[in-house]
Formats: sequence, structure tokens, C-alpha cells
Amino acid sequence: MIETHLTLNGRKITTLVPDSTLLVELLREHQHLTGTHVGCDTTQCGACTVHVDGKIMKSCTVLAAQVVGSDITTIEGLSPEGQLHPVQEAFRECHALQCGFCTPGMIMTISHFLKDKPKVLSDEVINRALEGHICRCTGYVNIIKAFKVAALKMYPDLLISNGA
Amino acid sequence: MIGQPIPRLEDERLITGQGQYTDDIKIEAQVHAYFVRSEHAHARIIAIDTFEASASPGVLAVLTGDDYLAQGYQGIQHVPNPADAVDSSKPSFSIQKNPHYFVNLHLPLASGAVRHVGEAVVMVIADTVVHAKNAAELVRIDYETLTAVVKADDALENTAAQLWEKVPHNLCHQQTFGDDAPVDQALARADVVIERRFVNSRIVNAQMEPRAAIGLYDPDKKCWTLISGSQGVNKQKQCLLDALKLKDEQIRVICPDVGGGFGPRTMLYPEQLAVVWGAMVVKRAVKWRGERSEGFVSDYQGRDQIITSKMGFDRQGKIVAVKNHWIANLGAHAVSFVPPSNGMRIMTTVYDIPLASVLVQLVYTNTVPTGPYRGAGRPESHHVMERMLDIAADELKLDRLHIREVNLIQHHQLPYRSPMGLSYDSGSFASNMRQAVEMAHWADFPERQKVSLASGKLRGIGLANYVEAPVGAPIERIRLTVNRDGQLEFITGTQSQGQGHETTFRQVLSHFLGFPLGDILFQSGDTDFVTKGGGTHSDRSLRIVSSLIKTASEALIAQGKAIFASLNQVPVEDVAWSAFHFSSPQPSTPMGLGEMAKLVHSSAFDAQTIKGELGPNTPWLQVTSDFKGRIPAHPTGCAVCELEIDPSTGEVELLNYTSLDDVGQVINPLIVDGQLHGGLAQGIGQALSEGYYFDAQSAQVLSGSFMDYGMPRAGSIPPLRIAFTEDPTKLNPLRVKGGGESGITPATACIFNALAHAMSSNAREEIPMPATASVLWHYLQALKEPHVQR
Repeated sequence: MIETHLTLNGRKITTLVPDSTLLVELLREHQHLTGTHVGCDTTQCGACTVHVDGKIMKSCTVLAAQVVGSDITTIEGLSPEGQLHPVQEAFRECHALQCGFCTPGMIMTISHFLKDKPKVLSDEVINRALEGHICRCTGYVNIIKAFKVAALKMYPDLLISNGA
Repeated sequence: MIGQPIPRLEDERLITGQGQYTDDIKIEAQVHAYFVRSEHAHARIIAIDTFEASASPGVLAVLTGDDYLAQGYQGIQHVPNPADAVDSSKPSFSIQKNPHYFVNLHLPLASGAVRHVGEAVVMVIADTVVHAKNAAELVRIDYETLTAVVKADDALENTAAQLWEKVPHNLCHQQTFGDDAPVDQALARADVVIERRFVNSRIVNAQMEPRAAIGLYDPDKKCWTLISGSQGVNKQKQCLLDALKLKDEQIRVICPDVGGGFGPRTMLYPEQLAVVWGAMVVKRAVKWRGERSEGFVSDYQGRDQIITSKMGFDRQGKIVAVKNHWIANLGAHAVSFVPPSNGMRIMTTVYDIPLASVLVQLVYTNTVPTGPYRGAGRPESHHVMERMLDIAADELKLDRLHIREVNLIQHHQLPYRSPMGLSYDSGSFASNMRQAVEMAHWADFPERQKVSLASGKLRGIGLANYVEAPVGAPIERIRLTVNRDGQLEFITGTQSQGQGHETTFRQVLSHFLGFPLGDILFQSGDTDFVTKGGGTHSDRSLRIVSSLIKTASEALIAQGKAIFASLNQVPVEDVAWSAFHFSSPQPSTPMGLGEMAKLVHSSAFDAQTIKGELGPNTPWLQVTSDFKGRIPAHPTGCAVCELEIDPSTGEVELLNYTSLDDVGQVINPLIVDGQLHGGLAQGIGQALSEGYYFDAQSAQVLSGSFMDYGMPRAGSIPPLRIAFTEDPTKLNPLRVKGGGESGITPATACIFNALAHAMSSNAREEIPMPATASVLWHYLQALKEPHVQR
């Protein structure tokens, strides 16, 4: 068993978990934060993506023991209670989700990407940013659209090639 | 409300991580199931040793198929034979006339033999997932491996491995639809006969939510509950009742949020049955969360149909007859005959073909069972038809548009009855094609091709017309209740897996009854209150439910009129309903349904005053509406794809894709667009990247994860030109046709037409599917060899 100290969605927590516990298991099973999803077992689908110390990480491939002392943000903590992050707003406006299972991971990656103003935003850049994510419902068309809409919400003067 | 692009009401919970998928649900004192699966495609089970596993830490039970049978239960009766597309009172295939027809009941755990890689053999139940997995490693299964067969045409051979003792040549059933004799005569007289074999590749469903299931057992009430994502709770309940030999009130099925359906989740899965049974054995809630690797070898799969088509033409390109031979790969168990059933009905698609027949063979193989996957038989049929037209156009030296024009069903021919018995009531097939071709700048293609050639690329353009015939479960129920808070409660037997029912259905309800969207409570997916209904598949939900909503709304308004008449002491025939309010010419205060419900449910209200009007047994302001049968609808349209092949690598770049669709009246354009995109992505995936491969010797699965199965990624969809059109149907009140399958139905057809056009290869062997870079590179090398004309 390992004692895990973390800052989770702004809250300091300490939890005792078996050594082999994955970060995603800590989140889902021990902290009941079920918005982070497990969609595969080969680190391909991206549904489990969270922010760890300002980086994006697939929480299914990280041991809880590896992130002791880290500051972790999940989909539940992305925006203050009752408010939506611009990426969340854009997802709803653009119908960028259908079944919604891949959505939290997508939103975590896009919100991380847009944390700082991108130099350029084009379809090519967006496709590369979403490389680690799989969606079966949307064909990505509206996810790409939401990516651009969110970027413009956050940086109204941002130039986007291939149109928004 | 109708036609408004309202952002979905279900989204808020899904974008904030508050969705409730099966694995997100935790039951107090739940324990965990893990399945030991067959690593062989075909083997006899000699012995299963569970002794060591049973003694492993945390283990509550280690269960086998024989244990299940010993307790007197039986396998799942999937009822694979669907209701006929035209006459829903009879089954699609006449199995009752076939003395050799055999379908084994699908056991939750294999007994005696395993018949596909991934088949569940032993269920370990333990206090934690880790303990269950550890114990699973200690289970010893002694197998005697047998030869296996994975391809349906191979399975029909005399020398092929036989899966089921009672099924020689693995032929579950075969049947000819249409009359062969006149077709053969017409083919013999035809100026040109084209024959071609198409292998429509196997698809992994790959919904993003791995399957999961929780079984609960209440020993006091002797009641079971299954919590599990699906495409309809009632079918699942019926299968559980039948397998566990229970009474109706003993089973409840709950479906929480579902992470994608696409067809195969309509049927019950062995694991869903296993956890319900397991819950009874260990007297605790039993939870199973499937892993993606398990999904790749146990989620019911799509397509895998081999279709040989023989088509006769006159010199002008008019089709005189078509004769198909359709071999459907059922996999190891007969779960569904829906794909060949749909495919054979729609085989002549949008063309006026006087004579048609098809021999359908349903064949067992050592593969994961197949089921309906988005489009289910229709994309396969369209692929064949549209490829055959391009091949014939080349052979007859006719323009590809021209050969279609001479064969398209003309608008004045409507209603048109196809040789397979479908009646098309609407659809402007010819003008749809003209419009799509214009949108795609078809006429200027040669100029663009020159530019590509100059840079060493092979450029092609392809087209496919399509029409669908949505079928699905021929039964449905909704219930409307105006509750004491003045809100409208809506219960439906259809069930969203991401299609946005919570929004679209509210729009329809608001259209008929005037309730604000926020005052409509939406309920589905629980057999405790969904007492009937067919779930969601085959473009059926909106068409059937909107028709039911109209009927139920009218009944609700009639009830309201009676109540209003009583309240105001006016004759009921004087009461009017307009602008969503009741009123009468006599002095009275106009009243909406919400206000009325609040009033009649208030304690101050004297119930006696209106009881007489409605009868003592009629609940006030509540209506249940049932539907049985078919509401035909024929979504139609045309797709055009333009692409480039790099001959040095075989890589394909889709340059643009045009889709003109008649989905009927659009209720929510945001959602319809999304459905089109998603279907298209799945079509592109099948055409170019999604290959499920087997080792030829061992029949071992080679595509077992997202690392080696080519899922479409961001950027897989080219720039789109989408437009909607409508030739209104009169067969349902909101003129709904269906939009869920419009993207996928013509997709592989028009992409393959574009590929063959780019490589000028129509006269050669068919391009294998999926046309990955490697496939195309090898194909291009073979094209350099001299071609022997057959």
C-alpha cells in the first residue's frame, strides 16, 4: 500500500492505495471521479486524459505512485462549479459530442492546448493535437469546429487558417 | 421548435464528467467478475480445473458453462430472424420450412467446445478485479484444438471444419428471394452480362465505452436486475427471462448512459447474462467491466458478407436483370440475420430493375458472432450496385452518369414497387444525383486530374446513389403524463446511445403541446417504467416516436377538453385548443395543460366534478400510445468522393466529399449533421483503414487492439460539401425519414468507385477492402502485369 498525497482539483487529498494502482483507478475507484473514462488498455484512445502539473497525461498509463505530490485536474475540476470552461461551452454549441464517452479526454487535451495562446491554429495543427484521441461517433468534424470556436472565445484576435 | 439547431440538453452532464455510464455506477458490496476466454478459434474442452483458482485470495466463485446448465438454465435465444421488412407479422427468412435449420442457444460460458477466439469459458468472481484476474490465471483448461474456418465461403466447402454437429457445411439456412427462372432467361438474352465478387470486410464495432454489466439479485423478492448499456432494455429483458426461465416481474433491466451503440448492442451478450446469474450464485452485486482487448474478440462485429453479383445490360446501359449470391458470415453463433435480410430487400436500390433474385446463405464460422452494424446490409448492397454500374459503364463505353440516368427510378413512377417488394413513396432520385454532381464540380474533374497527374498522383472521382428502407423492431410505446407540478413527463421505449433523443423528442413534444423544453421530463431505459418498446436502431426512433407523440398529444388534448368542459360547465364540443390553451366561447379563463394539471391535482379540487367525464379508471392527463407494424420511409441521396492516390506509396488522400441527403424533415439540424459526419467516418474507416485480420493457419485474431486496427482519427474526414433536400413523405406526420445511416450507406461505394476510377481498374479484379496503403500499393503493382480478359 502506498500513501498518496495529491492536489486534486484544487483540494489536498491523502489516500492509501495498493502499490499497483493506476492514476485512473485512484480517480475513479478511490475518489469517485468517474468523468475520467477508460476506453482502451493500450493508451490509444485518450478518454482518460487529465492534467498533471500542467501537462496532459493518459491516466491509464501512470501509476498513482508516480504522481505523488502532483497537482491534478480532471474534467470535474476544469471549471468552477456552475460554470463551463470555454472548451466545454464550445463542445455544446458545436454539437461536438454524441455518446459523450471520449468527450472528457478530448476537452482536457484541448483545454491544455489552449492554455497559452497558440501561434497558429490550422486543421493540421488541430489534427496533430488530437492524434492521441479516438472518437467513434462524430467523425471529429464538430470536435475540430469546437476546437476553433473555443480558441476564438479565449483569444478573439487569434488567426485561424482553413476558416473557423 | 421543429428545425431549430438547439444545442443538446443532455450535453451539460456529459461535458462536465457527470455522465453515468455502467462502469461509473457502484453498488454497495459489489464484487467483480472476470472472464477466462478461449485463446483458440476452435477446440474441444476436455477438462476445466478450477480447484486452484477457487482457493485463490478473495475468490467467491469460479463458474463454468456446465455449472450454468446444471442449474437448469439455458442459453440466450437471440431470435436472429428479424421481422420482415414489408410484412412485419412474418419473419424475414422462412426457417420453419427448413428441416435442417439449427441455432444453438448462446450460452453465457462455452460448454463442450469453444468456437471463436475470445469466447468466454470461465467466470471468476472475486472481491476485487485484481483478485479475479489473479485467480483467472490459475484456471486450467485442457483443450483439444480443432481445425478452424473463418471465411464464410471456405466454411461451405466439403473439407471445412464443421462448427455444429447438426449443421453440415456450416450452412445455418439458405433461401432464394425472387424468382430465378425469369432472371436467368433475361440474363441469357442480355447484350452484356457483368459478374463480379465483392468481399465486404469485417468491422469491429469499437464503440468508445467498453462493454460493462452489473448483475443484482434480491433473494427476498427473488428478483434480478441487470444494469448495462444497450440499445433497448426490453429485448434484453426478454432474452434474460427466457434464459433464466423467470417470470416477467422477476427481471428488471436498467440502461444508464451508453457510450455508443451502432447496432450490435441491440442483442444480449453472454457476459450480461453471466453477471445476472453470478449475482444469484454469490448473493452479491456482480460487476464486470470489459477491457478493450476483450471487446476486440467478443463485441458482436459488423459486415463480413461475400456478395457475387451478375447483372445483365442492354447496349444502352439499361439493366435487364440482376442475380446476386449473398453469403453472410454469422460467426460462431447465430445472433442476427439482419444484415442479409436488409441487404437482399434493398438490392436494386434506386434503380428501376425489372427482374431480380438473390440466393442468401447464412454460414457459421469460427469468428466472433456478427450483427447489424450501422446500415446493416444496406451499405453492402449499395456497394455492389454502384460498383457494378461503374464496371458496366466502362465495359459498355458509356458515361458513368448516363448509365445511372437511364436506370434511375423516375419521380413519376412513384409509388414504385421494387422487385424485392419495397414500396418507395417519395424520393427525387434523378434530381438528387444532378444536384450532387453539380455540388462536386463533376464536369470540371478532367482539369483537376491533369494537375494531379503532373505531380505524379492518380486522381479519381466516384459517385453513389442510395436509398434506405428503415426497418427495425415493429413495436413501440410512449407515455405522456402532465404531472402535479405542471410538467410533461415523457416515457419512451426507444433509447439513445448518443443520438440526442433528450433534445429532439422534447422539440417534437413542445411542437405539439407547447411545453417549454425545460418543463419536459424525459425517461427511458428502465423496464420498471418502459413496459414496451423496441429500442433504438435502424433509423426507427424519431419516425415512430414522433408519430406516436402526435397521436398521444391529440388524446391528451381530448382529455384536457373534457376536463375544461367540466370545470367551466360548458359543452365539450365548444372547447377549443389553440395556441396551446383550452378556451370556450362562453366566459371562461383560457388554460394550458400545465395549469390544468396543477389544478386537478390540488387538494382543493373536487375530483367528483370530472370523474364522470373521463371514467373512474382513466388517469387524468395521461396517455399511453402503442404502435405495431411498419411506418415505411426511404431516406435517399447521393454522395460523391474525390481522391488522390500516391502510386509510390499507395496512400490515399480524400480531397473532398459531397453528400446530398433527403432525410425527410429535419427536426434538429445540429444533430442530423452530426449523424451524417459520424456515419461517413465509419464508412471511410471501412473503405480505407479498418481491417480485422486473421492468421490463415491458426485462425488467430491479428487485430486485437487500437494499435493494430485502423480507427479513423481527426483529419480522416475530408472537407465536406453537405446539403439537404426533401421530397416529402406522407407516411408520417412530421415527414421524418431518418438520418442515422445516410452518411454510411453510400460511403464505401463512392470511395471504391473513385479508387477504381483513379487507377482505371474497373476491368480488373476488385480492390480488396479495406484499401489501405499497403493493399493499394500491391494492387497497383499487379495492375502492371498484363491483364487476361475473361
